Amino acid sequence: MTTKKAAKKEPSAKYSGSSLRLTAEELFAEEIDVLIKAETHPVPAGWKMSPRSVLTYICGGKCGKLDITPKYIGHERLVEIAISTLVTDRALLLIGEPGTAKSWLSEHLTAAINGDSTKVVQGTAGTTEEQIRYTWNYAMLIATGPSEDALIKSPIFRAMESGSVARFEEITRCASEVQDAMISLLSEKRISVPELVTEVAAQKGFSIIATANTRDRGVNDMSAALKRRFNIIVLPTPKAIETEIDIVRKRVAELASNLDLRAEIPSEEAVEQVVTIFRELRSGQTLDGKAKVKAPSGVLSTAEAISLLANSMALAGNFGTGVVTESDIAAGLQGAVVKDEEKDHLVWEEYLKNVMKKRGAAWRKLYAACSEQNG
Amino acid sequence: MGNRNSFMSAPHIFGVRHLSPSGGWHLRRYLDEVKPKVVLIEGLSDAGELIADMVRAQTKPPIAILAFTDCQPVRTLVYPMSNYCAEYQALVWAKENKARADFIDLPSSIFLALQGQRESTVEAPLPDFDQDVKAKDETVDEIDEASVGLTEPDRTPEPDKLSLYDRFARSAGEDNYETYWERRFEHNLTDHSYRLAAYEFGRGLRELDDDSPHWRAENLVREAYMRRCIAQVIASGTKPEDIVVVCGAFHASVLDPTEHPAMSDAELGELPTLPSKLTLMPYSYFKLSSQSGYGAGNKAPAYFELLWDCLEKGDLHHLPALYLSSVVRHMRKAGTHRSTAEVIEAVRLAKTLSAMRGGLAPTLADLQDAAITLIGHGERASVAEALARVEVGTSVGSLPKGVSRTSIQEDFEREMEGLKLAKYQTTTAKQDLGLDLRENRRVKSEEAAWLDLNRSFFLHRLAVLGVGFAKKQPAPGDNPGWAEKWVVQWTPECEINLVEAVLLGETVELATAFRFRQRLDNCLRVGDAAEVVRDACECGMMESMETARSRLQALASESSEFVSVAHAAHELGMIARYGDIRRFDASPLLPLVDELFVSGALALGSSANCDNEAAKEIVGAMEELNRVSLEYHDRVDEELWVRALTELSDADDRNPVLSGYACAILLERNVITSEELAREVSRRLSPGIDADLGAGWFEGLSRRNRYALLARLQLWEQLAAYVESLDDEQFKRALVFLRRAFGSFSPQEKRSIAENLGEIWGIGADQASEMLSNELTEREEEKLKELDDFDFSDL
Repeated sequence: MTTKKAAKKEPSAKYSGSSLRLTAEELFAEEIDVLIKAETHPVPAGWKMSPRSVLTYICGGKCGKLDITPKYIGHERLVEIAISTLVTDRALLLIGEPGTAKSWLSEHLTAAINGDSTKVVQGTAGTTEEQIRYTWNYAMLIATGPSEDALIKSPIFRAMESGSVARFEEITRCASEVQDAMISLLSEKRISVPELVTEVAAQKGFSIIATANTRDRGVNDMSAALKRRFNIIVLPTPKAIETEIDIVRKRVAELASNLDLRAEIPSEEAVEQVVTIFRELRSGQTLDGKAKVKAPSGVLSTAEAISLLANSMALAGNFGTGVVTESDIAAGLQGAVVKDEEKDHLVWEEYLKNVMKKRGAAWRKLYAACSEQNG
Repeated sequence: MGNRNSFMSAPHIFGVRHLSPSGGWHLRRYLDEVKPKVVLIEGLSDAGELIADMVRAQTKPPIAILAFTDCQPVRTLVYPMSNYCAEYQALVWAKENKARADFIDLPSSIFLALQGQRESTVEAPLPDFDQDVKAKDETVDEIDEASVGLTEPDRTPEPDKLSLYDRFARSAGEDNYETYWERRFEHNLTDHSYRLAAYEFGRGLRELDDDSPHWRAENLVREAYMRRCIAQVIASGTKPEDIVVVCGAFHASVLDPTEHPAMSDAELGELPTLPSKLTLMPYSYFKLSSQSGYGAGNKAPAYFELLWDCLEKGDLHHLPALYLSSVVRHMRKAGTHRSTAEVIEAVRLAKTLSAMRGGLAPTLADLQDAAITLIGHGERASVAEALARVEVGTSVGSLPKGVSRTSIQEDFEREMEGLKLAKYQTTTAKQDLGLDLRENRRVKSEEAAWLDLNRSFFLHRLAVLGVGFAKKQPAPGDNPGWAEKWVVQWTPECEINLVEAVLLGETVELATAFRFRQRLDNCLRVGDAAEVVRDACECGMMESMETARSRLQALASESSEFVSVAHAAHELGMIARYGDIRRFDASPLLPLVDELFVSGALALGSSANCDNEAAKEIVGAMEELNRVSLEYHDRVDEELWVRALTELSDADDRNPVLSGYACAILLERNVITSEELAREVSRRLSPGIDADLGAGWFEGLSRRNRYALLARLQLWEQLAAYVESLDDEQFKRALVFLRRAFGSFSPQEKRSIAENLGEIWGIGADQASEMLSNELTEREEEKLKELDDFDFSDL
């Protein structure tokens, strides 16, 4: 499944034979290989392929005989800007609502550029400065004193050494002093280890892709100084419903084969209905703009629609006939829309009665199932 | 075809795109190389005499040639030119090198007539054709097909139905045609590359051409005519190799008169013509940009000027830095700080974006995206204004004084002199102008005595024409009617508006009269016609007022729409009242006021049967009509009005707000006594009456003469008792109306209510007031929150 080399280097890939979720570069290893082999344009230092090939990898296209599947649909220009940013050795910050494929895009970017999307710092409120610089193997430190061997390098440290791109997920979740540590890293492009009296300079090709959530704004807002060191791209929610349906369908199919869900892929109609419901509740009005609806407290992102459908497939596969029925979807919708508040319950009921009920025969079954669930 | 200049017998042909800076730059180099004796340009052939004025030293582009028919319906063509466009540079080069320059496209008389034919075929359009016509009407077509029909901002093509030009761009791997053109044509500095590429491009377009047949036919006619002009120049003794023809890229491959037949005299005679006139006018970048709806313009005239400047200086590679730092400068001026480091990074990003597409230099789209990413921190909205400033700019062209004045401009100048307003034209700062419309008795001549009144007429006329020279300030409350305040400011935009007004008439007065006629033709409601009457009166145009009056009368006899009729009656009443200030006899208006008053009073009852939304308008109209009845109590049928009000006030089946309001008017007019009011209040507010009826009625009642209400303690007693009698659900409904009713009360008045209520509840005024104005307790707040969930929508 995975190359031996990677398995040795990356502890996380050790169990990849049966791992729950393959990394992007494992999943699309064939496409990456073909693109690298067919390369005709100049490749920047530290990169595995040219910027144009990265674009083809992410937005889809043809390479020789192989069809490259599109990984990010809808905003090709934004991907172009993202890639150009990384070419100019600037750091990239992807901002967006939850579920707008920020992490997805950053994973695929690193997979294509370095063939390695695993140098990740997961930002949390508990992230410390050591996690983005380096820390020590304290047993060794005490036994033998500071040495190269006792040093535990952070993903960012390793990316600097190897001249590759590191990822920083949910950067705004980190406390501001931790964020501040990034400032000097990004401007000096070197990291010093005073205990060993050395300094590591970033190799060509080093960069960082950070992601941040618009819903978190104001929690640990980024300082102007840090912001200035990033090229910022705001990822929008899919503009056209067709795009969103495409995204959902594609990802559900991928998940199904990945997770071995023993059920048929939901019908096109079902996907369209779920996406329609999500879009209407998200925007607070029906698609034709004729009626207002109340918006529930949750975000209802595209990502949630995907997991909802995968969920209903799991339900159908394990407890049903293997065909996704309306009641499987209704159960998922119930969970997605009605988070925990009483208010959501009413919002959902109102939507069912005022919008869905009036939609005619095609929607009747789903309506009945949802009403029963919401009961 | 490219090395055709080696064949001695053919004229040199240079295809360009209109408003393309690189076209201008390459053309100049080409002209320097060929050194022709005659430069022929695709443009209205009868505009030749304007050329001398167009290239005068004091002329500052952007300017435009305006062609118009002087008969009805007025048709127009605008042919704008910027400093950097190839056509203008050709004219400038010809002047500098003492070569002859001339226009060779169809004359405006034929063009305008063809335009008329095209319009008449719109009735039965082919599916595509309609759009074409619309686009091209706006876009002043003779310019260049390569720029037409692709930049309408509001018509985003569906993916499966891209325009020809966009398909061209897609096949070359660009997102849109603008970017395609900029990358392939504007940035290419190799000698001859532009001319040869544009030539091939135009030929490619002709092969693919999928325009409507009509459009295509018109092009063939124009090309035949251009060949005719070229052939004439050759026949008059100029050697073909001494001629350079500048035309749209689309035409470039077919203009050689030796290869294709020129138009014969007979053919020319068959073409339709319309009498037409031409003038030069200053133009602005805003009008050039498609933001103002001018489709054939380029989206970013100021950006292209930057591009032109860079080309001239020979440092095109500075353009990204220039553009992005201008954006940042605008942002800083607006108070948002962005560092130089960010500009540097933005330039790098733009260059990388361009390199990804294999471009030589960043295009506008690359620069915009870099600006959004770096300077806007990912959000378009934060840089949108600065981008518009840098791309569109505020440049306005100007013409030297006396150059190609239209008749209306001359008339304007004359009036400005005569009214001693010319001094306001010398600066562009805002100035205040106060007018006293009364006769000035201290001066000798009649003209001087009424100077301010005549000024007022004149300024009002300009306002009607949409020339934004003077803006009338709203009159203060105690305005005696003879004082007016204006803010005047002369801007080049005014000049443009003025030139455009020539399409309506030869002088300011005639144009205004024409505009009034247009407005009257479009009038459907009595109220609209009354506004025309008022405007005509303010403009001192008696004839127009008379026409408007008869139109109004005709409308009034058909209409019985209460709001509109009441509005008209009020307007006319006001005009008649203050008419003598403007020195005109208002007596012909008065019978009309009577008439409108009667039809209004009769319409009240039936129109009061409406929902609350419509009631708002009707309340205003009732107020207006009531004022008319008070002002003209000696003339109008007041009794009828009171009767109508009484009927409405007593009615239970009309909108309760309006019934309440009618009652309030009657109370004010002393028609109903205190006892009657008390009885009515108790009838309306008796227990069991629905909240929307009872409280709605009270809302209407409280709209007027609040002091009369506040003074009546009994009334508040009744209200308090009524509120107490309501059950929970009803109370919530009543609350909506009462809250609205009291919402417009002043704090002082609210306090009086509190005093009244305190009196009733026997707790003393102060205590009640204190209780009402106290902060809410937590429990009360919770109660109010519950109300939030209450669904008011069905009220």
